Amino acid sequence: MHAIEVTDLEKRFGEILALDHVSFSVETGEVFGYLGPNGAGKTTTIRILTGITTPTGGSASIFGRDIVRDTIRARKQMGIVYETSNIYDDITAWQNMMFAGELYHVGKQDREERGKELLEIFGLWDRRASRVKGFSKGMKRRLTLAMGLINDPRLLFLDEPTSGLDVQSNLIIRDVLQTLTEKGVTVFLTTHNIEEANLACDRVAIINRGRIAAIDSPERLKKTIQSVQSVEVAFEQGSAKILDDMENLPMVSEVRKVGDKVRLYTEDPGALLREIMLYADSHQNRVVSATTLGPTLEDVFIRLTGIERRNREGGFP
Amino acid sequence: MNAEFDKDQLTAEAVAAWAIAKKDMIIYYLKPNIIVSGLLFPLFMFLAFAAGKNVPLGYLIPGLISVTLLFSSSTIEPVSIPIERRTKTFERLLSAPVSLHAIVIGESLSGFLYSIGIALVPLIVGIIAFKTTIVFPLALIVGMLLTAIVFSTMGTLFAAYPTESPGDIMSMLNLVRLPLIFVSGTFIPLDAMPPLGAWIAYLSPLTYGNDLIQAAYGHTAFFFPLFDVVMLVVFFSIFQFVAHRLYAKYND
Ligand SMILES: Nc1ncnc2c1ncn2[C@@H]1O[C@H](COP(=O)(O)OP(=O)(O)OP(=O)(O)O)[C@@H](O)[C@H]1O
Ligand SMILES: [Mg+2]
Repeated sequence: MHAIEVTDLEKRFGEILALDHVSFSVETGEVFGYLGPNGAGKTTTIRILTGITTPTGGSASIFGRDIVRDTIRARKQMGIVYETSNIYDDITAWQNMMFAGELYHVGKQDREERGKELLEIFGLWDRRASRVKGFSKGMKRRLTLAMGLINDPRLLFLDEPTSGLDVQSNLIIRDVLQTLTEKGVTVFLTTHNIEEANLACDRVAIINRGRIAAIDSPERLKKTIQSVQSVEVAFEQGSAKILDDMENLPMVSEVRKVGDKVRLYTEDPGALLREIMLYADSHQNRVVSATTLGPTLEDVFIRLTGIERRNREGGFP
Repeated sequence: MNAEFDKDQLTAEAVAAWAIAKKDMIIYYLKPNIIVSGLLFPLFMFLAFAAGKNVPLGYLIPGLISVTLLFSSSTIEPVSIPIERRTKTFERLLSAPVSLHAIVIGESLSGFLYSIGIALVPLIVGIIAFKTTIVFPLALIVGMLLTAIVFSTMGTLFAAYPTESPGDIMSMLNLVRLPLIFVSGTFIPLDAMPPLGAWIAYLSPLTYGNDLIQAAYGHTAFFFPLFDVVMLVVFFSIFQFVAHRLYAKYND
């Protein structure tokens, strides 16, 4: 049985077609990434799969239970962590946990044990008696996740779990995800963060303007655009002019500034490297480092979503 | 969404409804705007009517109880639900594995309990300060409980309007609540009203609740007590049904 099965899902908001006949399935135990730019339809998909929004067409089921007809039973199996950390500011972390447990009908002893365990895992046990109002963004996010796990779900929905968080919170959340997947929990996570999807997900769906552009494992997705390779170079003396010069080198299809380095897209990295060395020699500059790179998941994403790279911003620092 | 009526689910719904009510009690009972609207406002109305009338103050106590119930029961949800829409905590309730009925009832429950507590103030002050006597305690209990249920559900119903600002709902609500004070026989007896007013009184649930409470104090009742009870139950059912429909509709 699939953990999630989505068939021909459509969602209209008046004129806007937020989901345009989306189909995919997620296997039990899989970490499934749902990657897309702003407004692609990620949150809308999660809201339908969790039974908050009704689709205007198609169907979706959770462990075989239709989310529209059998909403309550379908929901009992899931934990949900929405985009916004939706916790109660005026009560304590512990009260928030217990409230979540009661909403999911977790027995008193169970919810107290699990509540303690989860607050410890998420590094909030010492703050259990503090009102949430004073918590940092990362702490609130961690508490939201802990609350999403109080019913020991088989399937976890995470809408942008780590977006804009501090390093410590990020690490804890990644650790927890790792542990969950080892326990066989299915995870459906949306993200803008391509690196996160690349690291965490077994499979990734790329969604753009309400349509699925591709679904596959990160590695296989990268293979589909093998022609996009690149060379990343750091020069000893950086200048804005270098970007222009690089763009004029033969074989370079695109130039992008990446921190203090320049990334040059090409079909022939070997030949390009020679050109770069010649350029450095003739301009009294020196190449500090040079790396050739295969396509990244970001490249796949950009290729499939047709987003324009804004590659010429800023110049060198 | 379908309600699934096995026994286990029914327990789950009750636990969730009670959890929602408890959460509202902890968070909202002491919020200043709730206290003003639920307690002080009825008191000012009472004083205003008392000043303009030549009846003993004790005589106005049952009316004060009715108006207090009206205001205090319908004040929590119109404040809490828009706030929770803004913080997205309302979404947490909507996505829980319980029916919308459990959510509506849980929300109404906190307003209900709050108003019963608040209405004890005029009740007890009446007994101590004005030596009011209660002739039919049962009518008082039933009248107060049903009035509180009806208007807390009405508050939840109004809060279904999809806004993130409590003020929006409060102003709509007051458009209904304020006229109810005048057409329900609370401070102005029904027989002292012009015919049009008396006709409107039939449409006000407060008329029936107040009728029971007045009867409990030995004042003339307008309707048969059982009729009052039936009408209040009918109003509650309508409000609950409409509230459920509105929450389902505005959910998308
Ligand atoms: N309640 C609504 N009413 C009208 N339009 C909506 C509603 N919710 C979403 N939309 C529209 O549907 C589209 C998809 O929105 P959605 O929130 O699913 O995007 P997203 O992929 O989650 O974006 P983000 O990365 O910004 O969170 C957008 O065009 C959005 O404006
Ligand atoms: Mg989103």
